[in-house]
Amino acid sequence: MIHADIIRKEKLSPTVSTLYFHWDADVKPGQFVMVWAPGTGEIPMSLSHIGKEKAFTVKNYGPTSDMLIKLEPGQKVYFRGPYGRPFSVVKGKTLLIGGGSGMASLHPLINRNAFGLIAARTREEILFMNEFESGKVRVTTDDGSFGIKGNVLAGLKDLDVDAFDMIYACGPEIMLYNLYKYLKEKKVNAELSLERLMKCGVGVCDSCSINGFQLCRDGPTFTMDQLQYMNEFGTEKLTFSGTRVNVH
Amino acid sequence: MQLESPLILASGILDENGYTMRRILEEGAAAVVTKSIGSTERPGFTPPVVAELGENLLNAIGLSNPGIEHFADEISIAKGIRKPVIGSIFGASAEEFSTLASKMESYGADAIELNLSCPHVKGFGSEVGSDPDLVEEIVTEVKAKVSVPVFAKLTPNVTDIVKIAKAAEKADALVLINTVKAIHIDIYARRPTLSNAYGGLSGPAIKPIGVRAVYDVYRETSKEIIGCGGISNFEDVIEYMMAGARAVEVGTALKTAGRAIFDNIKTDIIRFMEAEGLDGIQEIIGAGVKR
Ligand SMILES: Cc1cc2nc3c(=O)[nH]c(=O)nc-3n(C[C@H](O)[C@H](O)[C@H](O)COP(=O)(O)OP(=O)(O)OC[C@H]3O[C@@H](n4cnc5c(N)ncnc54)[C@H](O)[C@@H]3O)c2cc1C
Ligand SMILES: Cc1cc2nc3c(=O)[nH]c(=O)nc-3n(C[C@H](O)[C@H](O)[C@H](O)COP(=O)(O)O)c2cc1C
Ligand code: FES
Repeated sequence: MIHADIIRKEKLSPTVSTLYFHWDADVKPGQFVMVWAPGTGEIPMSLSHIGKEKAFTVKNYGPTSDMLIKLEPGQKVYFRGPYGRPFSVVKGKTLLIGGGSGMASLHPLINRNAFGLIAARTREEILFMNEFESGKVRVTTDDGSFGIKGNVLAGLKDLDVDAFDMIYACGPEIMLYNLYKYLKEKKVNAELSLERLMKCGVGVCDSCSINGFQLCRDGPTFTMDQLQYMNEFGTEKLTFSGTRVNVH
Repeated sequence: MQLESPLILASGILDENGYTMRRILEEGAAAVVTKSIGSTERPGFTPPVVAELGENLLNAIGLSNPGIEHFADEISIAKGIRKPVIGSIFGASAEEFSTLASKMESYGADAIELNLSCPHVKGFGSEVGSDPDLVEEIVTEVKAKVSVPVFAKLTPNVTDIVKIAKAAEKADALVLINTVKAIHIDIYARRPTLSNAYGGLSGPAIKPIGVRAVYDVYRETSKEIIGCGGISNFEDVIEYMMAGARAVEVGTALKTAGRAIFDNIKTDIIRFMEAEGLDGIQEIIGAGVKR
């Protein structure tokens, strides 16, 4: 287990904060770590900042993320990694599509060539909007409190997706599944970063698998071609005990 | 049971989801053992459930499983490819084991592996598997109940593994070994890393312990043995076979080498046999045991 002192904390919304720390490691966009809150739990977190200073951006969902979000500068974070196959970085125009805390894993890809489509439930949960160049971001909210009212597909309606050299997306599986179906018709280059339960992070426990591919090792990023053969994607998954259930 | 190679996927590693087992069979394993399944759904322990100790692993997954009633689908998905699927089960009594075994058999499992050896859950596994009388009773009842082969997987966490092996004599084969009971403490957090504190150690560190168990049991009994523990390359497989194993199970090495490990080891074994002028695996089994 690696440990580091938190040097800074930035509150992005009532339920989301970024925790910064020094960690001398080569991390690529889309990779993640398993973060340990001693006494509470251990969960996967993307690295939202991958320079000399690293950070993760955590949303408060349950017990473990709640413990992490309460940490303050001077306290320690414990984690192991980095794990997972990173996004492939391309030159040229990119489209970043992030749902909720999925924006965290896309953050390292924000640059001058990037256009952002941020999907949030409500105005308060919009992440990293101001980090895109002006005019190069649009937002959808489920409740219409900001930007376009509707889900991520509403934001794509009049956007020429063919104009991008690569599309990167991260968010809840159901959003990615709908996005996948939409993009499949368009023959575009896209990589989707999936989220599933992860107990081990190192490709042994099988809790994160889709059609025999381990998200923690073969993913979490997958190409459109790879996803096309995964019939469990968007349909079925295993619970914490291993019981097969529908994804939504 | 006929195997195309001696390489089997060990229980608890990438074998909870039927699609994963199927992929591992497609990518080169001769057979897979399912995750150990019990009578009722168990969530298992809260993460951290693994600690990475170099290439070794300490785990306390906690026998998480969906319960036998929910496992039929996974077996039939895995059996989409015609290779053996071995159903692993755990219970607290002979009666529970035999009920689970019949269910597994009815789902299409080609053999049953009795988990008498998980080291980190109270009331199951090694607590059952270190009592020779109970082991004998369980093996006897399960053998009477099913017609597919029955394997007994034993724990190294006992004073005399030969004694337990003899108690399990009625099994068609013995699987040696399960993980070694251990603890890891994070010195900065000043507490055990695993939420359960105790876990089972697997990986290269336990190979000599596994080889020793196979060696001893091979010398003292006439049982067929499946070696397990710390296998990560063809040399490890040959070593286990020379100690007396007929086949082996591979688990933790998938962390470092990925699913391709089965195909890679198979190729290397064939090369080794050619280079050593060996005609068949029979020539290797027990060849390293001092007489
Ligand atoms: C690759 C990857 C990257 C991610 N990156 C980020 C990120 O950058 N930022 C972010 O905010 N989120 C991220 N997530 C999501 C994040 O990991 C989850 O939000 C987190 O697991 C929530 O954990 P929790 O304990 O706070 O909440 P919970 O929802 O309470 O727990 C998480 C899940 O664990 C299960 N669980 C835990 N313990 C038990 C138990 N004892 N019994 C039964 N079930 C149990 C529950 O089923 C629950 O669904 C990422 C996920 C993945 C897979
Ligand atoms: C994550 C993990 C889960 C395991 N779960 C089980 C299990 O459910 N039943 C079982 O009989 N053995 C289980 N084992 C033990 C393995 O099957 C094997 O006996 C042990 O890991 C030694 O082999 P290895 O060094 O090749 O991993 C598990 C091991 C690991 C690492
Ligand atoms: S989290 Fe265990 S296999 Fe991916």
